[in-house]
Amino acid sequence: MSGKIIVITSGKGGVGKTTATACLGASLALLGKRVVVVDMDIGLRNLDVVMGLENRIVFNVVDAVKGKCKLAQAAIKDRRIDKLYLIPASQSDNKNALVPEDMVRFGEKLKQEFDYVLMDCPAGIERGFDNSVAAASEAVVICTPEVASVRDADRVIGLLYARSITPKLIVNRIVPHMVEKGDMLSHEDIVDVLSIDLIGLVEMDDQVVVSTNTGIPLVLQKDSRAGEAFKRIARRMDGNTDLPIQIPQTSGKFWKKIGTKFGLGR
Amino acid sequence: MNTASSDNPSVRLTGMADGLRVVLDPKQPIDFLQSELNRLFKPLGHLAINTRVLLDYGEAEEWEGAEEMTAALEGFLKESFGVGTVVRPPKKRREVEEILRHRDMDRSWQNHRSDVLMLTGRVRSGQKVTARKHLLILGDVNPGGEVVAGGDILVIGTLSGTAAAGQPDREDAIVLSLDFRPTQVQIGTIVAAGLPSSPTKQTEYAYVEDNTIVVEDYLEADPFGRLPWPEVR
Ligand SMILES: Nc1ncnc2c1ncn2[C@@H]1O[C@H](COP(=O)(O)OP(=O)(O)O)[C@@H](O)[C@H]1O
Ligand SMILES: [Mg+2]
Repeated sequence: MSGKIIVITSGKGGVGKTTATACLGASLALLGKRVVVVDMDIGLRNLDVVMGLENRIVFNVVDAVKGKCKLAQAAIKDRRIDKLYLIPASQSDNKNALVPEDMVRFGEKLKQEFDYVLMDCPAGIERGFDNSVAAASEAVVICTPEVASVRDADRVIGLLYARSITPKLIVNRIVPHMVEKGDMLSHEDIVDVLSIDLIGLVEMDDQVVVSTNTGIPLVLQKDSRAGEAFKRIARRMDGNTDLPIQIPQTSGKFWKKIGTKFGLGR
Repeated sequence: MNTASSDNPSVRLTGMADGLRVVLDPKQPIDFLQSELNRLFKPLGHLAINTRVLLDYGEAEEWEGAEEMTAALEGFLKESFGVGTVVRPPKKRREVEEILRHRDMDRSWQNHRSDVLMLTGRVRSGQKVTARKHLLILGDVNPGGEVVAGGDILVIGTLSGTAAAGQPDREDAIVLSLDFRPTQVQIGTIVAAGLPSSPTKQTEYAYVEDNTIVVEDYLEADPFGRLPWPEVR
């Protein structure tokens, strides 16, 4: 098996990297792929909490990379979704515990075992970013409709291009009625500035918080719009590039569809 | 004696409609020239009185002692033969000069090695592009992106980042963009931040006037359209 390593990144914190990693990991596993999500936010782990796996942690990514445990020992199997695994971050180490070369070697191992390896990148563009990107061949950039988020996403996109990675864009936390009133940047505004391929639009959804609190994966909840959006993004990532992107609308309106406009057919 | 051969004499005298023309070789010693003039003017007698004399040094290039020699010969001719005004032919423009002027109007740019750094693409947040002289970008400069040039900055697209033209101290530089909405503009040492951006896409440019940065609609101002012919910038 030789899987793909995809880094989920944004530059800015709190824009939905961890949420996206959990949802995309779960969705890809539901599509029948072997998936591991790796929490690279060393020192500030929380992907385990979002996935409801925090009390199963024995070993972590630093242990696995440093060879203190076997890969199988560090990869926690999800309770509900077959084929989904989590490698948690270490809470006690700091980001300098690992170097990019370690990650490249570790990535080779992960690719042997899984179809998809999703790296949940920490905020910032320092060592934690370098470590998360080191082994990746693809990237998904998460951006919210805020000026600061766009600015940071742009910075990160430049850094990814510098490593010959062409990232795809997810705009998260869209509030349709604010966009319609002109109080929030539209995804068109964002794509204008970032000019990379859009792979999905996710709206603000209370179910995200509910999911984190109940431990039920968002993508398994009924009528979660964000969950549905992430499932569709996973299908696009898995090669279904013609699947049109739906633009979140205020209820009552039909969803507008945009398709090849952003060159997803490529 | 330093004699001239008959077919190439050192001093020649010819009549003109409005006077006399003397062509002489200024390399000859002044005594010799005066004796030759004496020989040629004597037979004219009273005809020489008050006539206008054109002193022509022929092919000789202009040299430092020309004025002095002219003054000496003028004095000699006036005293000895009572001639009128003594003049020199109107200065011809030298050939090289002629060619230069021609080229100026014509294609001064033809032998010009370009100092323009021309790039395509997008300057993203955190990226910085520096050009020794002019910078031309076919693309956009994003918020947080930075462009710096020794000369002008032209963005054929949207400029939303910061631009510093004329670095370090050329205040005649300009910053131009098809959609002009920079967060900061610097020209030479003068900085402007928080420029109000127009609601619509507008081709504007910034330049320095009285130590302030002025932004104007480029097509309306058409600052270079008034130049008589194209020039290298
Ligand atoms: N689409 C969404 N709708 C509502 N809340 C969201 C959405 N995406 C993320 N959030 C919330 O935003 C916060 C930050 O998300 P998180 O995934 O932890 O960001 P990051 O990993 O980039 O720091 C969390 O509280 C999360 O529940
Ligand atoms: Mg996170």
